Order: sequence, then C-alpha cells, then structure tokens
Amino acid sequence: MSSILTPNSPSHCAGPLDRRGFMQIGLTGMGTLGLSGLMRLRAENATKPDGEKTAVILVWLPGGLSHVDSYDPKPDSGSEYSGPFKEISTKIPGTRITELMPMQAKIADKFTILRSMHQGAGGHPAGSMQMFSGDPDTRDKPKPKLPDWMSVVNYLRSQQEKGENPLPHYVGVNPAPGNYSGPAYLGNAYSPFAITSDPNRPDFAVPNIGITDPAETKRLSDRLALRQSLDKMERAFDTENELAALDEFEQQAMALMTNPATRDAFDLSKEDPKLRDRYGRNRWGQQLLMARRLVESGVDVVTSTLSGPLCGRVNNWDDHAVNQHQFEALRFRMPNYDRAVSALIEDVYSRGLDKRVLVVVTGEFGRTPKIKYDRSTGAGNASGPTGTLQPGRDHWPRAFSNIWAGGGIQTGAVIGATDKRGEDVIERPCGPHDYLATIYHHLGIDYNKVTIDDFNGRPTPIVNDGKAIPELIA
Amino acid sequence: MISPRPLSVVVAFTILLAFWPGNAAGESSTSGEKLNFVHDVIPILTKAHCNAGACHAKADVGQRGFRLSLLGFEPQDDYEHIVKEAKGRRVFPNAPEQSLLLLKATNQVPHGGGVKLKPGSKSYETLVKWIGQGMPYAEEDDPELIGIEIEPERMTMPKETEQQLKVIANYSNGTRREVTELALFEANNEALATVGETGMVETRDLPGKVAVMVRYSGQVSVFNVSIPLGAPVTDLPDPANFVDELVFANLEEIGIPPSPVCDDATFLRRVTLDLAGRLPSPEEATAFLADTSPDKRDRVVDTLLDSPDYADYFANKWAALLKNRRESKADITANFAFHSWVRDSLLQNKPYDQFVREILAATGTIVENPPVAWYKRVKQPTAQLEDVAQLFLGVRMQCAQCHHHPFERWSQRDYYSLAAFFSQVGRKPTAIAGEDLIFHKRGTAQFVNKKTAQPVKPAGLGGPALEIAPDDDPRLQLADWMAEEDNPFFAKVLVNRYWKHFFKVGLVEPEDDLRDTNPATNPELLSALAQHFIDSGFDLKEAIRVMVRSKTYQLSAEPNEHNAVDRQNFSRFYPKRLQAEVLLDSIDLFTGATTSFADLPMGTRAVALPDNSYNSSAFLKVFGRPDAASVCECERVQSSSLAQSLHLMNSSEVKGKLATANGRAATLSKLEGEVSEGIHELYLVAFSRPPTGEELSIAEDFLSKERTDANGKPLAVATAKRQAYEDLIWALMNTKEFLYNH
Repeated sequence: MSSILTPNSPSHCAGPLDRRGFMQIGLTGMGTLGLSGLMRLRAENATKPDGEKTAVILVWLPGGLSHVDSYDPKPDSGSEYSGPFKEISTKIPGTRITELMPMQAKIADKFTILRSMHQGAGGHPAGSMQMFSGDPDTRDKPKPKLPDWMSVVNYLRSQQEKGENPLPHYVGVNPAPGNYSGPAYLGNAYSPFAITSDPNRPDFAVPNIGITDPAETKRLSDRLALRQSLDKMERAFDTENELAALDEFEQQAMALMTNPATRDAFDLSKEDPKLRDRYGRNRWGQQLLMARRLVESGVDVVTSTLSGPLCGRVNNWDDHAVNQHQFEALRFRMPNYDRAVSALIEDVYSRGLDKRVLVVVTGEFGRTPKIKYDRSTGAGNASGPTGTLQPGRDHWPRAFSNIWAGGGIQTGAVIGATDKRGEDVIERPCGPHDYLATIYHHLGIDYNKVTIDDFNGRPTPIVNDGKAIPELIA
Repeated sequence: MISPRPLSVVVAFTILLAFWPGNAAGESSTSGEKLNFVHDVIPILTKAHCNAGACHAKADVGQRGFRLSLLGFEPQDDYEHIVKEAKGRRVFPNAPEQSLLLLKATNQVPHGGGVKLKPGSKSYETLVKWIGQGMPYAEEDDPELIGIEIEPERMTMPKETEQQLKVIANYSNGTRREVTELALFEANNEALATVGETGMVETRDLPGKVAVMVRYSGQVSVFNVSIPLGAPVTDLPDPANFVDELVFANLEEIGIPPSPVCDDATFLRRVTLDLAGRLPSPEEATAFLADTSPDKRDRVVDTLLDSPDYADYFANKWAALLKNRRESKADITANFAFHSWVRDSLLQNKPYDQFVREILAATGTIVENPPVAWYKRVKQPTAQLEDVAQLFLGVRMQCAQCHHHPFERWSQRDYYSLAAFFSQVGRKPTAIAGEDLIFHKRGTAQFVNKKTAQPVKPAGLGGPALEIAPDDDPRLQLADWMAEEDNPFFAKVLVNRYWKHFFKVGLVEPEDDLRDTNPATNPELLSALAQHFIDSGFDLKEAIRVMVRSKTYQLSAEPNEHNAVDRQNFSRFYPKRLQAEVLLDSIDLFTGATTSFADLPMGTRAVALPDNSYNSSAFLKVFGRPDAASVCECERVQSSSLAQSLHLMNSSEVKGKLATANGRAATLSKLEGEVSEGIHELYLVAFSRPPTGEELSIAEDFLSKERTDANGKPLAVATAKRQAYEDLIWALMNTKEFLYNH
C-alpha cells in the first residue's frame, strides 16, 4: 500500500486558502479566543455569513458502487479487470463514463466526478463510519463512536434557529444505516426524522404526520386546548427554559401534523406526474424526489439510502460473487439509479436550487478492480442458483469515485485520477476528512474550529485533518 | 484580600513593563539575558491557542504539517518542530521577523487560523528576541516553575461587578514573576460569571458560587467567587439533619430564602418517582394523604427503600453505567445474569465498597459469577482504568493516556500506574463466543508508560507505587485503596452522583468530574455526605435516606419572590423530567395499557429492563434511554425534542394505549354515577392528589360536551364518552405536572 493511503496521512487535497476561513477568527484583540469563546463559536458559525440557508442531499449507496464500472471506467485494463460495460462519451468532451449511465452522460455538465477518493477501512461498518463521521479508527465496531456529519449539522442548526421552521433539520428518506451512522454523544435527539416506508406506494404516509381527517385535527386541537387549560405548572418554575422548549416542540409538532404547508413537504402527490415519472416510478426515484421536495421546504440535510430489492438479491451494493453476479446486478440496478440521480440533479438546477443545495452521491468504498469469480450462495435477482460460478468484486477503499452537483460549484469537471486499473489514486488523493470538510464548508460550518464535547467532556474536532476540496466549493 | 476595582489599561501596561519580558520578578532588568523556551516562548503559543487541540496540537497530525504538543506539555518536541523541522524555515535568527513562525502567526503569510499575534505586541517582541538570540532552549541554571498563585484566591463579589485577577508564577530559585497576561482563564459556570482573556472576572446578575480555573505552563489554580443575593433569610425550616444544616448555612451566607416545605401529595409523588421509578398507586396516595402521624414521610422512605421497585430502578441506572450492553443475540444470558446480580446486590443493600470490589476483582465465568460480565464489555486495561476512574473515582483520566491532563495534576505516569492494576487480568475463551473466563494471571503487575516506554508499578491516584507479590491479584489492592477511609474520591463521587439523582444538580457538575479545579458549590456538604457514607459502612440506602429525609429535599419547587434565579443552592426543588423508562411506565399505569418486552413476562416495567436491546422500542429511543455505551450518565438525553412531541401527540403507540381495551378510558366511560369520580381517579393516579375545584369543573365541562363525527352528526353516547376520557387522559399526561417530577 502506498503511503498516501494510510488513514492519517496528510491530505494533498488542499488548494488555495479559503479567505473566509481565516477572516473569521482573526483580529479579535490578540487574535485569540478563550475556551468559552470557542464554545460560542460553535453556535455562531453554523451558517454562511451571507445568510443563505444551505442544504445537502446525500444519496448513499450502501455496500459501495464499483467505480470502474461507473464513473472511472478502465476499458484497457484487461479481461481480468475490465467488466463488460463500454465507455461512452458525455456532454463534456473528454469525460467518459460507462454505458450504464446514459442519462447522466447527457447532463455531465451539471456534476463533477471526484475519482480520487480513498479511505482506510475495508469493512462496511468502519468504511461507512469513515464517510459519515471520519472516525480515525479503521476497525469495524458495532456502533459509531463519533457523531456523523448529519447529526452534527442537525445539532448546530438546532442551536442556531429554534423553532423557526416546523420541519426537522435532518430527515432520512430511507435513512443512513443505523449501526454505521448516528449521533453518538450528541444524543438521540439529533437522529434523523426517519421516513422508512416506500414513497412510491400509493398508500405512502409519513407516520405521526399529515393528519388529513378534519375530525382528527379538531380532536387534536381540542386536546391541546384542554391540556393548556389544565397545565398548572407555573412558568415561574421555568428557570432553564425547559418547559418553554417543550411547548415550542409541541407547537412545531402540531404544525407538522396539521399545517398544510409543512404537511405538503412530505406529499408527493403535489408533484407533477411527469416529473414523478422522470425520477422513476419506483422507490429510489420517489425517495430522491422527496429529498428535493424536503430541501426546497427548508430541511437542511436529507440522506437517502438506495437499498432494497432494486439492488438485486442482497438488497445492497455489496457485489461479492457469492452475493450476486456483479455485472448482472449492475445491469439490473443501474437504469433506476441513473434515472433517479440524473432527475434529481436536473431538477435541482431547473428549480434554481443549485446554489443553495449540494448533492453528493457516494458509497463507503469502491469495488475491487480485479474481477473475482466465486460460487453463488443463492439464486435471486442478478444471482445464479446456488453453486453457480459468477463474477464479483470485493471491497476496495483504496480508490473510489463519487459525484457532486449543485452547491454553486463548478460542475462538468473530473477531479483526480486512478492508475490504469483503478487500483490506486495517482492524482489529488482526497480522504474522508477532505470529503467531510467540503460538505461542512458548503453548510457554512467552520470545520477547523468547531469542536463538540464527547461523553468525557473532551472537545472533539468534527474534522481531523481535512481541507475542503477546492474545486468542490463555491 | 483585594477589593473589586476597575483595572485601567495604564495599570496593566505598567505591570507588563515591570515584569515582561524578562526572567524573574524582583531582579533588575534582565533584558540582556537569554530567554527560556519553556518559560518565555511556550506560554505565548499557549495563550495564542496555537497548541490548542483544534489547531496545531490536533492529535497525531497537527495542522498543515506544523505540529505542537497539546498546551505545550512536551516542550522538547515543540522545540524540535519549531527550530529544526521544515528545513529551518520556521525561524531565521538573522532576520527574526522573516521567520515563518511569525509571518504565519501575524497572518502576513496567509494563515488558516488568522491573526494570532499582532506585530509589535509584547508577545511578538518576545518571540523576535528569542529568535534573534538563536533560539535558546534553556540555560543550565534556569529555574523550574513550581507553581502559580492567584491574587485574590477567593472572594465575595456582588452581582454585576468586576475583579481583575493577578497570576504569579513561583520558581525553584525562589523568584516570582507576574504572568497574568499569558495565563488562561475559564469560569466553570458562565451563567454566573465570565472571565476575559486578561483575567478580568465579571459577575452577572445571578447569585451562586463560581470557580475560575487559571492555567499557566502546565500549572493550575482556582479563584473561588461567591455571589450573594443578599435577601433576608428568616423562615428556615427546622433542620432534619446535617444536610439541612449545611444547605441552610449556605443559603444564609449567600442570602437566598428557601421555598417552604412541599405538601404531602407532592412529596409522595416526588419520593416514589425518585426511589422506585414509578408513580404512587391511588391506594398508596389515598392512605398517605389520610395518615396523620408526624413520621409518615420518614416511614414511606423506608418502605420504598425496602421494596423491590427501588432495586429495579437503581439497577437500571447501574446496569447502563456498567455497560450491560446487548451487542448480539448470544449476549442475552450474560445481560440477564449481570442485571440480576446488580439488582439483587441493591435489594440486599450490599455495601457499596463490596459491590465495587466484586466487579473489579471478578474472576470465573459470567454464569457462575455475573460481574465478570463487566470484563466482557470493557476489555483493555486502558479502558478498564478509564471506566473505573470516571465511574468510581470521578476522575476523567482519558486525557492522560496521551498527554498531561490539561486541567489536572494527572500525568501519563498516573494513568499507566492505574492501568497496571489490570495488567494481570487473564482471559481464557469459553464455549460461549465472546465470553472469556477471567482469572488472575500470576506475575508482576506493571504496565508500560507509552511516553517513556518504561514499565510502571500499580499506584492509586496520588498514592505510592505498590510492590505486589506475583500471586496476589492487584485488582484487590485497587479495591482496598478505593475503600480506604481517606480516599479522596471514592465516597465523594458516589454521594455526588446520588445527590444529582435526587436534586437534579450535582454539588459538583458534571457529577463524575471531581477535580481541584472544579470545586463543589457546597464543599462542606459534599465532605459531610461522604463522611456519613463512609461511617455507615458504605450503606447505599443510608446515603439515600439522609438526602430524602432532609427538609432540603422536601422543599417546594415553587419559587418565592427571591429564589427563582437560584440554580445551584437548593433553595427550592428543581423539577426533573421523567426519564424514558419511568415515563413509559407512568403512561402505562395512567392509561391502563401494558407494554410487552421480548423474553420478559407480561407486565415487566420498563425500569426493570435488563439491557439496552429494548431500545428498539420507539418510545424508549425517542425519549433518550441510553445504550450503555458510556460510563457517563450524560449518555441519557433528558432534553425535549420534536420527535418526542410527535410521538406523544400522534404515534400509534400512544394512541393505542389511550384506546386500549379495558384500559382506563374504556373503564371510566362505562362507570355509572358522577363523572367527578372518574376525574378524581385520574388526578389521584397522575398527581397523587384530588383535583382542585377549577380543574374539576374544566374536566366536567369537557366530558359533557357533545361530540360529532366528521359529518357533524352526534356520536353515539358510549363512543363519545370514551373518546372524551381518552382526550382528558391525553391532556393530563401531557401537562408539565405529569411529565416532570416536581
């Protein structure tokens, strides 16, 4: 393994200095901040100075997308490596991706491909934790030790704007895997508001939300009125504003449940049927449409995991030969993926959300460039009967790709490169901390300064040794 | 003692001229002498936060290739990095101002951290001079820093006043020097007082006690402030015991009059929730309210302490702190066994020192000796010492694994000395995956200090190194040391933890962070509670009894005209949110529903759950039941959230409980006779008291209103009545009076 791939190696991603970053802290007296000052900073720096309320949609591909079969094709790597998929040209001359993604090829000007992502953890739990929380420990563990970036944003934005928008700050439309992500020491209050049912189903409804029966709404407001008239605990008790917060959340919940505007944020029937078709009338397409709808309504972070039967036999992207036939699985899976992701990107631009909303599509790692044959452990979609020898690819954290759109960034570019087989990064390696820093940067969070106290009260940085990737920031 | 006074810039400047730069105060001008890297340079970097954890002292990596040790604890490494690394670009003795160190710190060359030093400032000039001198590290006869003093050390400060602190460094050769400008200041309660970079303390408009921690070059000291309210304190209740004497003495000193003692219904609900983790039954409430004997409060405390509900509730607390965590299905036997062991220990009131000893020194398998389960979850000696230190000693040692503790006297030597107690824990795999047989591995107890690469012998914190014979289990010696009568931590952290359980706010906050720089708000009370606990033979029930029998515990939560602002002197009872398990049980009791839990008999209460696997319950999760991942009680989230409100208002779980067949709403709606009886029952269950006249009439009006369906047609009487009771129950269980213990 080359030295650049060790988990703690210094990043080479940094480009020109971010002017805003060094203006923020300087010039206060001796240019220093006390600990207490730093604590205040946590809350203050959670949005960009110009006040625009930025948002992020993360499309998560659990198990890891095979980079060489998608955004980083290697047609000349030989039959032991190269899959069956041809390269195609895209709207951007010189940028080529595989034939599995024709719809994205047509809008290649609207996203940037980062081909030089790498991280140090080969297991699903640790690999995912690298991408969610930047955990420097690359061993698998049952639960994350550090809060993921989504919970951090939820926490920071909650500190900053209490009750201004009835919608939650962070929604999981099929949330990120719960054992690999989560708020850790921030506490469950910063978990996502989770939508776990299939938005493509005609009977789709978000639980606890969207009461449409007027009788039920009336009953609820009667109950609230009764509760208020019977609530005898005097406000005078309320020295910590705890009781006030409780009332605030109750009102917010009531609005979420009954206010048509907020309820609408979750109602896909309000979308043009043609647009719904464009995203794809399946779970993934409608999930991503929901994601766009939510950020448009003021949600700060939406994660959407593309998993389930649309992946193939094992419900995720973990295309080991024992699980499913790598290439059949991609043939089965990619049309819906290509349609949904391209629709989301197009839609973000056509609605003018492209400055405010950053779209990131990634998994925890790539897949082994060398094809490995093994025997199927079970028949299913994209998998032969038990015992069938079929091709697969294993976990590959040393090099993989992800794509970035919106966020006011320069799109249509390709950043970084891997070697001729796609095994190692040879240009502009970017680690998980650079990736996290880039996302935080878009959200106006000073990732160099913000720390969060862990269970032991130790101030823990949200990004350890990363720098926002210059080409991916506005 | 120095009285509060404004400190003008001129005064500050004069002091600086007198003492800085240079070596020792009291000597004549020393400007010609060589500077000392440790005394003169590092403090500047520390004050400018160059070596903060978020900047160049970020663990293992530093920032942008320039790495410093945290807060300058490793000056020799820092010297190497500044003087010798980066091809010497960081310092240019021939043109000191062109040194990268200064160009970056002043942001003349763009610096991610911005401007840290202003050109021309004293600190800047000191660095220029040091570089110009050729970056001396130290002269042979340079003295050592041996301590710092703060002037004043403690004082009473009125609200909204200022006090400038002066920090004096003492050196081994007897010299002293003022270092105020380069010291770091931090107040432990910013609601009460703040302290600026220059050491100016400003009190706010709240009464109480604040400690300002002062740090300089690895030394720490504390300035204690008492901010009085100054109101007349006249109607003090008769003290029930020493707790009251010490609390009331503090209230008198600080001038905060306490609220009166609460009524019987409030007391019964409060103490039952706090001791047994449940609401009193209507029968208990009725009997208690009717009882006229003067000692009925003391008796109910004893009854509750003897009940299995007490053991369930406190086992719930301890099982989480002892990490009784389900990570796979196969853990269930261990989880159940360990939980039962904790519960039984509490039920039989096993002395606390013995309880801890049986965990620390556990040997064998989980099935034959359940506390071995602790060693299943806490595997490494470092994790073992860290958990033991935080949980049983109230000392957070994690920092000292890699560097000197920034707020403490603990070094890496102390850390690894504690680890050495666990160096002879032997493990042998058993037939059950993931479970080892634990035994004492014969040999010399010692552990390699990561910093020096030398082995160290076991030693209690602040104690001498122990020579332990190879056949003796060092863990027993650790337990012995903990239970020594003069152990400064063991009893204090337990009584403080329990105090917080009952009074919401610890005498020390956080409750497991006892250190010299984080003093108790009432140190005499903390000491007295600890002594009482030791004298009782570490009797946990007695520790509780002395707290809840006090008048202090029984004060009303309702503030008087003076004490609404009090948050740490216990002049009234601070209302506490019901925790997840207790709230679920209370809602079950109130609605007449039952929650069923996997592998447990129907009717098992949520407070009696053995482990975290039951957090798959949406209710427990959303209300913050901890996952037993940490020894810190802070893992339990007690704050409110949107998801909680949604859950109470509209979840199918809560709706189902309200509508449960043969539940309370169903039963009451079928009741013949006056509706007031039904309302009476609801108030007795929810609040252990009858409704007031006003409450009764609001509820009666509500129940008698006609109800219609979606089309405006009146509902059938039975349906309407049942719905009305469901609504009333919902409204009552969403009041603050229900959601809080007050």
